[in-house]
Order: sequence, then structure tokens, then C-alpha cells
Amino acid sequence: MVLIWPLFIPLLGAALLLLCRDRRVADAVALAVCGVEILAIGNAVWQVHRWGSIEGRYLRADGLTSFFLVNIAFISALSLVYATGYLRHVGEGRFSSARWFYALVYLFLFTMVGVCLSANLGLLWIMMEATTLASAFLVGFYNTEGAVEAGWKYIVVCTVGIAFALFGTIVFYLAAVKGGLSHASALNWTTLLAAASQKQFDPNLVRLAFVFILVGYGTKVGFVPMHSWLPDAHAEAPTPVSAMLSAILLNCAMYALIRYEILASRAIGTEFAHTLLLFFGTFSIVVAGLLILVQRNLKRMLAYSSVEHMGIIAIGVGLGGPLGLLGALLHTFNHSTAKALLFFGAGNVRHNFGTLRMDRVRGMARSNPRTAGVLIVGGLAIVGLPPFSLFVSEFAILSEAFTQSRYLIGGVFLLVLSLVFGGFLYHLLRMICGASQETQPKPHFARAEFAVMVVAGVCLLYFGVHIPAAFSVLLREAMTVLQ
Amino acid sequence: MEFVGIAAGKVVSTSAVFLILTIVGLAVARRISTCVLLFSMQSVIITAQVAATAYLENSREAWVVAGLVFTFKVLGIPYAFFWLVERLKSPRDVKASTTPAQSVFVVVVMVFISYAAVRSYVFGIRVPEDALAAAVALILTGAFLMVSRKKALMQMLGLLVLENGIFLAALTTTFGMPLVIEMGVLFDVVVGLLLMGIFTFRIRDTFEHLDVSRLRRLRG
Amino acid sequence: MTMALGAVQVLILILGAPLARGIIARIKAWFQRRQGASIWRPYAELGKLFQKEDLVPPTSSLIFILAPRVMFAAALAVAAFVPVLQPFALFGSVGDFVLMVYLLALGRFFLALGALDGGGAFGGMGASRDALISTLAEAPLLLALAAVSISARSASITGIVGGTLRQNFFEISAVHILAFAALGMVALAESGRMPVDNPTTHLELTMIHEAMTLEYSGPSLALLEWAGAVKLNIMLALLISLFGPWGMAGSLSPAALGIALGAYLLKMLVLMSVLAVIESSMAKLRMYRVPDFLGVAAALSVLAVFFTMIAKR
Repeated sequence: MVLIWPLFIPLLGAALLLLCRDRRVADAVALAVCGVEILAIGNAVWQVHRWGSIEGRYLRADGLTSFFLVNIAFISALSLVYATGYLRHVGEGRFSSARWFYALVYLFLFTMVGVCLSANLGLLWIMMEATTLASAFLVGFYNTEGAVEAGWKYIVVCTVGIAFALFGTIVFYLAAVKGGLSHASALNWTTLLAAASQKQFDPNLVRLAFVFILVGYGTKVGFVPMHSWLPDAHAEAPTPVSAMLSAILLNCAMYALIRYEILASRAIGTEFAHTLLLFFGTFSIVVAGLLILVQRNLKRMLAYSSVEHMGIIAIGVGLGGPLGLLGALLHTFNHSTAKALLFFGAGNVRHNFGTLRMDRVRGMARSNPRTAGVLIVGGLAIVGLPPFSLFVSEFAILSEAFTQSRYLIGGVFLLVLSLVFGGFLYHLLRMICGASQETQPKPHFARAEFAVMVVAGVCLLYFGVHIPAAFSVLLREAMTVLQ
Repeated sequence: MEFVGIAAGKVVSTSAVFLILTIVGLAVARRISTCVLLFSMQSVIITAQVAATAYLENSREAWVVAGLVFTFKVLGIPYAFFWLVERLKSPRDVKASTTPAQSVFVVVVMVFISYAAVRSYVFGIRVPEDALAAAVALILTGAFLMVSRKKALMQMLGLLVLENGIFLAALTTTFGMPLVIEMGVLFDVVVGLLLMGIFTFRIRDTFEHLDVSRLRRLRG
Repeated sequence: MTMALGAVQVLILILGAPLARGIIARIKAWFQRRQGASIWRPYAELGKLFQKEDLVPPTSSLIFILAPRVMFAAALAVAAFVPVLQPFALFGSVGDFVLMVYLLALGRFFLALGALDGGGAFGGMGASRDALISTLAEAPLLLALAAVSISARSASITGIVGGTLRQNFFEISAVHILAFAALGMVALAESGRMPVDNPTTHLELTMIHEAMTLEYSGPSLALLEWAGAVKLNIMLALLISLFGPWGMAGSLSPAALGIALGAYLLKMLVLMSVLAVIESSMAKLRMYRVPDFLGVAAALSVLAVFFTMIAKR
């Protein structure tokens, strides 16, 4: 089956990588597996494009799935190439072994692809819990005090959250069984979608289920107030892992939420789900935006920015309407590109300055011009300035808000955007401008790392100006699923 | 045989009371090993409930689930916990942030809340009210344990109690989910506990203590 | 005829009390792999004490001599409330469970007064500790009894027992399980057994009940010891009759009575074994943790009352 390949190639790759003891061999194998995986995902996307959707008992794919799969493929490719350069320059002492790193990364990829490809809500849950488990050791990889604390918090908070999501899944299952579906098919997404259109479900149960799902999977997405694990985990993890967590994992969790939102809206109308999503989204952007202003650690600030952007996506989905949904979908992709770029730059800062404390880094423009350039491009992109792509998606969501006369949400959105703009640029410019510090080691920039960042930057610029035809086809198919 | 049938029919609802007794026990327990024993007893009761359901519904899947629950939650996980407590060599105290009297009060209030919450949902579905309320009480107790107990091992145990409650809720309302999903869920829980166990070793090695309330380096 | 049966019940409780103590001590000894004394030993002790002289401290008042007698009388009165062989007791219609509880409290009150009157330091210490325990134990005792009385729709002990008898054996109700747990814990506290109080200790600072009887000798001490044994017997009999009364005689025929007596003895034996095992396996609680123990009993009894409200049984 077409869908089995993208799912099991990472798993096989992980097993294979455990056998590679030499670092260079591990690098080569990792890149090779990445290439094969991209081919497999490309094939799956192509098949979905030709046939509309691929159905199965446990795995399925449609337009929305392929959109998120493309996202996974792109960012994981960037991260893996970056990682090969990154590992080369991290001292032997810090990294226990490259092969464990790559193996865990591919295990992580396997679980995330599994989330996107699940046809069964129970399997979705299992894969989502597995993402937490697979990435826990990646978060705690450095084994320092901060990393261990971050890893523990990550695993405990996310497991509790996902346990609540399990409860929500069970209530949904109950609603389906009560609505007349057989036990075997009551967790299948396609069957559920059809039954929901017939309004067979008890509205109270669906509401209860959706609340628990939102709280549960919302913990993985990083909605405030369930976000407490996010800044720690994203800040303490190794840089390629931070990029994958922020750029892919949050998107996969959002994917799960979107799937449930579709079901709930079909079953009981859009009011309830949208109100909740708007509430969580607005709350998240306000709190995250405020917290960005007082951050001292670069990666922590980037992590809060991820919370904020996930809130923006939630607002986009919560608003509904063609522009809102388009903006939300586009934003998942754009945000992941920009966030990956920023995290790669932060990794470089850590490399050259030995610290991520923003007040201890000065004068990058003079000493590390390329890193400074990366951070500037990424920073301008992430705060939503044109001509970068995030401007397009945020503008779409904002115009949807004003079209629907939701002036309060639009106003709060604009306010937070300005706050974040100010805060981000303040921190970045403080790092970049000014006299450079006296003792500066020779700036380090692996070719692989830089190449990856250039790709990301170009992508941001390009998508801000014009969306390529293939991508817009992908978008259109995803939208049809959403509406 | 009819006797067995009657007994099976009664087991699911009457054993709810014994679950509440274990919850009260968990609130006052002072040693980690006592808590693990109480969890083990809870799992025995839940296994009995699954077995009773399997007998009444004549479903082979449910018997498999009963066997799995027994193997993992009654034997495997408690044994692993005892082994962990031995190996970690940390103080066996539970390090509660509330006195036993306060904990018991909170637990009693939670039992009240769970009955009140279940009341409104029971009329639509033919569900044994006691068992569902006991499940919600287990969920609330698990959450309470995780919040009020400052030892890393107790947080893991609170998670287990929480998951027990969710499993019981699934059992009483839908007679269990499809077998594959149940096995996946159980597998996830076991692997999760395994990882958390490994993490406790790392915490002890890095921090020299297992008090999670003292893990406060990352703030803001 | 029923009155005679009632009197026989009281005699069983009163005269069998030392035997109960002896059996419990014997089971404990067996559990601890000791030889243990004969089960009739407490009778010998009582007999010895009755023949000795009653020494009274010169500084004490009438209370000192009165206290053991009042305590024994109270125990006697309470024994007349509890049904043993039949759902009938001598004082069954005289009062309800509240009267019973406060008769027990009366005995305890006078004991504390007598201990204070004795003039010794340990008497005061024991009295204050005992006052704490009995205060804390009163609430769960009353609430648990209230819970079972609500569910049996009767306030007198005999009425409750009758109500439980009419219930089907398989209708195990949550109220009864919780009330049994609560009453079991209170029984341990009220009769001064482990883990609340160690009845065999000889270290004065660890005593609660024994500290109050330190100054007594002769017949007074005999009466106090006997009253203590009767209290334990009453608590056990109460647990049996409230929560497991099946086997009690429905009619007055000798066969039914014989079966009732046999059932009673069997249940007592089981309960005494459980008590012996608990006593042998738990350490005495530190004084400041006894309120926690009784707090759990209180919580369980509150839950029992709560369940009477929501139960359809």
C-alpha cells in the first residue's frame, strides 16, 4: 500500500541507524533515509492528488493529510541536513552518540507521520502519545540539569494532557456507538464524518468530548494554560530537535485538532467548536505575546513565539470562512519554515558565543555577519512583515476577522502583533548592533547549516510574493476537506 | 451458573465502593510502597470488573483485555515500582504537600463532585452510576496525587491512577474499545512508565534528589 | 421468654468478655510464634484482684471509688442494647443508638475523672490523651451508626439489625461497607487496641488507657479491667450484628437458638482473628497521628451518610 512506505521507512531507518557506529556513516545513512522518505511522501501525495483520497482501515490520506505531510517532509529534510553539520561541531563529550540521536529522530518522525496518516481515532491517540515518548529522550539528550528537568516536565505534562484526550476519544466513541455505528467502525474517521453529517450524534456527548479533546491535544499544541512544558522543552533540546518540535510536532497536534473540529462542526454546528478555539487562541497569543517581552534566553523566546503562532492558527480555524481557513493552513507551513530558520540561527549563536542569554551576546553584525543576517531575516519574517510569507497568512486571518465583524479579536490580534514586533526586534537588535566583544573565537559556520538556512530564507521570501502552482493545488485540496 | 451470572452482574457496581476505599487509602498513605499496593488492589478490582463484563457480554476480546490488565497493572507495574524504589535508594516517604487529614477531606469532596457530575449523564445511557462515578473519582484522585505529592515516583503513580480511572470510564460506558486500541493504549502506558522510570534515574543522578518541587531552574 | 433470652444475651456479653480477651491474646501469641497464656487466664486474674485489698490514695475523693463502679454499670447498660442471638435486646426499645453511644461516653468520662482524682501524673496524662481520642472518635461513631440507621429506617439497634436481616445477602450496599470500615476503625480506638493504644505496654509514657488505671487496685481494678473487656466484646458484637447478622434466630426454638449461638461464636472467632492479625502487624501510631487515623474514619462515615442519600437501595 502506498501509505505504508512513508510510515515504515523512518522506522526501518531508525533500526538501520542503530547499527552505524561511525559518525560519518551515520550521517550518510541518515541523509539517505531522508531522501527515500521524501520520495515516499512525494509518491503518497501524488497518489492522493490523482485519486482524491486513499482510504483504509487504519491508514488514510486526503488533501489535508498531504498538505501536512509535505510540511513534515520539508522541515525534517532541513533539520536533518542541519543536524549533520551541527553534530560535527558539537564536542564529543556532550553527545553520547550520533547514531542514537538519528535513530531517535527517525522514531520521532515515524510517530508524527503516523499521526497524519491515521484513519482511526484510537490510532491517532496512540501515535500522539508515542510522539511524546519518542521525543522525550531527544529533549533530555544533553543530560544537563536543565535538560533533565525539561524532559521530565515534558513527559509528565504531555502524558497527562493526552490522557485527557483519551477520555475525549472515549466519549466520542460512546457518542458514535450510541448514534448507531458498530463497535468496529465507530472510531473510523470516514465513517464518523458520514454519520456526523446525518446528525446522528448526541450533542451533549459531542460537546463534552470536544472539550476534553481540545484540552488534551491542546496541551501538545501548546495552548495557554497547558503550555508549561513548551518553553522548557524547546529551549533545552538540541537545536535540530527544537526545530522539529516547534515546526513539525506542533503542526501535527494542530492537525489532530483540526480533524476533530471538522467532526464536531459537522455533528453539532460550528458555534461550539469555533468559540472554544477562538478563546484558546486569543488567550494564547495574549499571554505568549506578553511573555516574549520579558524573555532572556533566545530559544525560550522562540518557544513562546511558537505558542503565539499556534494561537494565531487556532484563531484562523476558529474564525472559519474561506480566508480564515486558508490563512490558518498557510500559516502552519510558513511558521514552520520561519521558526526552523530562527532555531538554526539560535544554534549557531550558541555555537559561537557559548550561551543563549541574549544580554550576553553583543555586536553580531561585526563578528558574525552571516548569523546576524539569518536572525534578521528570520526575525522580520516571524513578526509578520512583508515581503515574507507570514505576512500573507496573518493578513488573510485578520481580514477574515474583520469580514466577520469580530473587531475585538482583530484588535487584540493587531495589538499583540505590534507588541511582539517591538519585543522581538528589541531583543534581536540588541544582540546584533553595538560593539563586538573583545575576545571572539573565529566564527563557525558549517556549510550544511548555512545552506539549509539559505533554503529556508529563500522559501520564506518566495512564498511571500507568489505561491507556486503545485503548492496552491495542494492548498486547494486541503481546503476542500476543511469545508 | 446462575449464581455466577448474578455475581457478575453485581460486581461492576458494588466494587465501586472498594475503589473509593482505595482512593481514601491513597490519600492518607505515607510510604510509596503502600501507595503501590493500593494501586495494585485497585487494578485487581478493575480486572474483576472487566472479567465480569466479559462474562456478561460473552466477548472474547474482553477476556484478553482482562488478562492484559491483570498481567501488567496488577503484577508487572507494581513489581517494577518496587524494583525502582529499591534501586533509587531514595527516601520512601511520599512527601505530601498536604496533611493526611486535608488530603482525605479533598478526596471526599472529589467523590461528592464525581457523583454530582455523573448524575446528569446517567439518564441518557444505561450505565451503573456507581462505577462511572468511581471512575471519575479515580481520575480526580490521580490528578490530585500528581499535584500534591512532590516525589517523582508519586507523580508516575498519580498518572497510573488517572489512567485507571479513564479505563474504567471506558469500560462502564462502552464495554471497552476495540481490542487493538486497548492494546495500543496499554502499550503506550507501559512504555511511558518505562521512560519516566529511566528519567527518574537521570533526575537522581543529576540533582541528587527526587523532589520535583525542587526542579525549578527553568522559570518564566 | 424473650426477656429471659435478653438477660442471657447480656450474660453472654459480660461473662464472655474475659474469655474474648484471653482468646485474642492466645491468637496473637500463636501468630507471633509464642506459647501464650491459657485462654482462661483473665478469669483467674479477675478472681485474684477481687480478693485483694482496695487501696485508695489519701488525697482522693468519692469520685475515685465511684468511677470504676459507674464505668462497669455503663458497660453493663450498653451490653443490654446489643442483640446477640436474636434481633432483640433487653434495652432495645428503651433507647436508640445515640443513647448507647453516650452511655459509653459516660463511662469514659467517669474513668477520666477517676484518673485525675487519683492524683498521679500519669493519670492526668492518660486522661487528656483519652479525652482527645474519644472526642475524635465520637463523630465517626455517631455518623456511621446514623448511616446504617437511615438505610434501615430505624433508630434502635435492634431495629437496624432487623432491617439488615431482611435485606438480601447479595445486595451488598455501599453504605454498609463504608460504615463497617469506619466502625472498625472506631472500635479499635474505643476499646484501646492497636494501632491506637497498646494494651500490653508497661511503659507509662506510651499508655493511654492503662495510665488511667495505674492508681487502682483490688476490686476497683478488677471492675475496670472487666469493663474494658466488656467494651471490647460489645464493639465486636456490634460489628457482627449490624453488618453480618445472618444466622440469628428467627424463632425461639432450641434448634434456632443453637444455630444462632454457633454462628455468633464463629463470627466472633473470625473477627477476633482479624483483630489479632492487625494488632500483630501494625505498630502503634504516634500520638499526633491518631487524629489522622480517626480523620479517615470520619471521612469514611461521612461518605457512608452521603451514600444513603444517593443510594436507591
